[in-house]
Amino acid sequence: MCPTLLENEDRCLGGMTFFAQSHPIELCGSNGLPLTPNSITIYGRSQFLKTINHPNLSTYLDIIRSKHERTIVVAEYSGESLTNKKNLSLDSIVKIAYQSLLALQHMNDVGLVHRHLSPDNILITKEGNVQLYNYGLYYMTNGGKNVSFPIGYPKYTAPEVFLGTKVSGIKVDSWSLGIIIAECLLNQPIWPGVKLAQCLRKVLSLLHSETMIFERLARENNCYDTYQAVPQELRDLVDSCLQIYPSKRKTPAELLQLPPFAELLKKDAKEREENLYKNVIVRKMDELYYLWQLAGGDITMELKKQGMVRSRPPILSIPNLIILIGQMFGRRDTAGLLDLRVVKVPLDTLRQRLSHIPYTANYPRLTSQMHVQAQDDLTDAASQLPLIIRERDTEYQFYRIVLYDRLLQIYPITREAIIREAHKDIPPPVRGAVWAALLGIKGDIQKRYDMIDKETPTHTDRQIEVDIPRCHQYSELLSSGAGHERLQRLLKAWVRDNPYYVYWQGLDSLTAPFLYLNFNDEARAFACLSAFIPKYLHKFFLKDNSAVIQEYLSKFSQIIAFHDPQLANHLKSISFVPELFAIPWFLTMFSHVFPLHKILHLWDKLLLGDSSFPLLVGLAILKQLRDSLLTSDFNECILLFSDLPEVDIELCVKDSMAMYQKTPGSITYRRHQFDQSKAMHWTEPEPGTERMPRISIDDLLNLLENTPDQVIIVDIRNNIQFERGAVRGSINIPFTSVQLSQTDINTLGPHAQPLADNKDSIVVIIGPHDQNNALFADFLVSCGVMGVCSLQGGIYALRSKAARILVPTR
Amino acid sequence: MRNIRRPIRFRTKDNMANRGTAQRPNGQTQGKICQFKLVLLGESAVGKSSLVLRFVKGQFHEYQESTIGAAFLTQTVCLDDTTVKFEIWDTAGQERYHSLAPMYYRGAQAAIVVYDITNQDTFVRATTWVKELQRQASPNIVIALAGNKADLANKRVVECDEAQAYADENGLLFMETSAKTAMNVNDIFLAIAKKLPKNEQAGNGGSSGQGRRLAEAEGQKATAGNCCK
Repeated sequence: MCPTLLENEDRCLGGMTFFAQSHPIELCGSNGLPLTPNSITIYGRSQFLKTINHPNLSTYLDIIRSKHERTIVVAEYSGESLTNKKNLSLDSIVKIAYQSLLALQHMNDVGLVHRHLSPDNILITKEGNVQLYNYGLYYMTNGGKNVSFPIGYPKYTAPEVFLGTKVSGIKVDSWSLGIIIAECLLNQPIWPGVKLAQCLRKVLSLLHSETMIFERLARENNCYDTYQAVPQELRDLVDSCLQIYPSKRKTPAELLQLPPFAELLKKDAKEREENLYKNVIVRKMDELYYLWQLAGGDITMELKKQGMVRSRPPILSIPNLIILIGQMFGRRDTAGLLDLRVVKVPLDTLRQRLSHIPYTANYPRLTSQMHVQAQDDLTDAASQLPLIIRERDTEYQFYRIVLYDRLLQIYPITREAIIREAHKDIPPPVRGAVWAALLGIKGDIQKRYDMIDKETPTHTDRQIEVDIPRCHQYSELLSSGAGHERLQRLLKAWVRDNPYYVYWQGLDSLTAPFLYLNFNDEARAFACLSAFIPKYLHKFFLKDNSAVIQEYLSKFSQIIAFHDPQLANHLKSISFVPELFAIPWFLTMFSHVFPLHKILHLWDKLLLGDSSFPLLVGLAILKQLRDSLLTSDFNECILLFSDLPEVDIELCVKDSMAMYQKTPGSITYRRHQFDQSKAMHWTEPEPGTERMPRISIDDLLNLLENTPDQVIIVDIRNNIQFERGAVRGSINIPFTSVQLSQTDINTLGPHAQPLADNKDSIVVIIGPHDQNNALFADFLVSCGVMGVCSLQGGIYALRSKAARILVPTR
Repeated sequence: MRNIRRPIRFRTKDNMANRGTAQRPNGQTQGKICQFKLVLLGESAVGKSSLVLRFVKGQFHEYQESTIGAAFLTQTVCLDDTTVKFEIWDTAGQERYHSLAPMYYRGAQAAIVVYDITNQDTFVRATTWVKELQRQASPNIVIALAGNKADLANKRVVECDEAQAYADENGLLFMETSAKTAMNVNDIFLAIAKKLPKNEQAGNGGSSGQGRRLAEAEGQKATAGNCCK
């Protein structure tokens, strides 16, 4: 049985396309950079339209930029346009007027004007409900400034639009609706067969009309009788719309208060009350569009099939001859004009694709503890596939989206379940919300964001201003004007909100992924950023962050030596320190290093770990460069990082997860880490003084209890002490017997063989002196031994915490 | 660093190797090979990275991403019978990264201090960089002043004469450059190469020693010889 989402066959996609105006070549903005192409400006502005959700407005789904400044707009297209409806009853006319006004009122509330209202753009669904279409054209083109064609069909355009160049107010739509209703009531088009130029003259001639416009139009079109049959209150409605002076004309909201709508308003209020407790799950149109694309849908192809996207040699768009007075001969280029056609695309492909999915799939079960009940085999089997394939699998994505929707609806009580699911994967459409959940965002984030001053100039403004046009500019979203404005607001807000911190270059890159995912929800982007920085970059943005960064980098060196002594030894031999390459890695959590699509997959997993996870990501990147690094000298190594080769991000994520799990927590302890609770009673040595990390006694005892075969304990006390009491199975290599200068494990004798053979055990050095422990650890690493660390507190820690495991060895 | 932005990808290592074989055959038999460490300094967004990218790869990106920490690139130029290999440290411009700068200019034999001719503040900042170099860097360091973004002449704020006078006063090389149009980019590096001493120290070609030069560095000061203009 077909899931509910697709029952409604009326729901279709509508595709339309137009060209943005192209800038003259060679023009530069004030900062010397080329002007942003208008299509990108439109792309950025139009994102806001996707957030509009109203039953009488068709949902905007996608804006696609294509070659030569072409913009393709995808929106819901349900039903038929009003143009095709004839002989409407008075009731249906009133209903159409009413619902159109509701839609217009909602648009006005969010700051939009239609300006393009015509019967073509009023869709009537099967149930007779109105959905306004193409209502965002005027907005997305910045009042028509970004396109070379005029917006609005002259017959339906309010006269003041032709008289002034000002931005249109909300009353222009009242006029358009007035003409449309008039046509419906008269049941015939006004001025049929009149050409465009004449039409303009006709509209302007109304300016001098002495009678009411509606009456005059009726007389002009020889249907005064029909006019007289129209009930008075409807005539009044049209008259209120068709006022020449905008000051006398009513706004959509005012029109709704007129008598014809009183009953409908009452009915609506009643229905709303009744529906309050109805829980109807209908899949949202944007999800359907996403799945439709996965199922092979491609709106550009559909437009091409209809001949609406045609490529023509540019030379053909040049007129053959232009005479001095400007008259053109030959073919004129019409590409810059608005193509009014809309391609209606049913969701059949998707419907077929999902036809076998049971209806119940729309309601994933959660247990009383808010856990997800075991899913069916399909998703389990699929979760083994590579991420790239999972993200392109229609059914798998359907199940995942449905599940996440359910979990997110009742977040935060489902936070644990979301974390568990995020370990598998995160479907792209819900990523923004899931990340916020992983970061524990809740409460009134909008209010908090609104209260921050983002306007007052500060001395960091110049820096932010020069950084933004360089931040992930390959992304259409982030390179648009809307993207720049938002990024600037976010950065200013963060600096303002964190008086103890300052703006370091790189903060822009760090903010970019959050903005990219929450382009229409700055508050959530801000909340995510504000939660992310303390968790992963605690104190990194201090004015003097050198101690913090130095500590982090020396921990990174330790981690390299811990997991890959051979590489560490090579890098040490050529004096290649992380300071040379890893600052941008960690300061921006790799967001300055990778393109966005890679950052998203990397951070999907990064957000599941703590602040030490990035160290292992760094190591995983080195691992991919390992072969080159091992055979390179200093210059070649540094060149490798200045122009980082392609990194396989999925492999990188997998490797870092694996190594993260193999690294005991205390190995990565830092003084400056955010979560200090674990590091209680922990005195980390000065950064850079010890080459190898220390392990805490708790972690050691844990290892001994759970995975004793993966620990090798090296006791470096003298034999007498060792014989008196040591951990069972530990190897005794008295420190005094070791020639530190001879970095060869074989000099230690046969009982050190397990160290040489070590593949994935952790080698814990226990001795009485921290300093000697460190020297010996350094020695072992130089010999190429894996997994070396020393026990924090040495033998004394063992004695005080777990004397019972110390047994006489003879 | 973000590979997606670069339409043409160079595997730098291969690139270097190729260049080595292309230029060295006669270089090795006839002339000397000199290596010089060069550092770029200047306010952010004046075009340091763009100058290097133009010089090293002949490319230009309008939206060159900001440099965090520093980047390293090399390029070789031929000068009569000498092959000069520049090891270029391209630094971050933001004032905050200032504390890292000494790590990069220490031991450098040459520096290009860059400003943006459309922004007076960047020129002021350039003069403070020059002062710092004169005070802190190797005494014989060759300093060049580059007035970048010369293609934006209609937005010019810093006059050429003003900068020239300042450069003359302080014994700096000076050119107005444009990474966008490539104007004077190779020239400024060549002029530096000409001015650099090519005596015995230039012979210490083994590039494996460079790391230590960066880290320890101070010893290098003494070896730099006199200018041979």
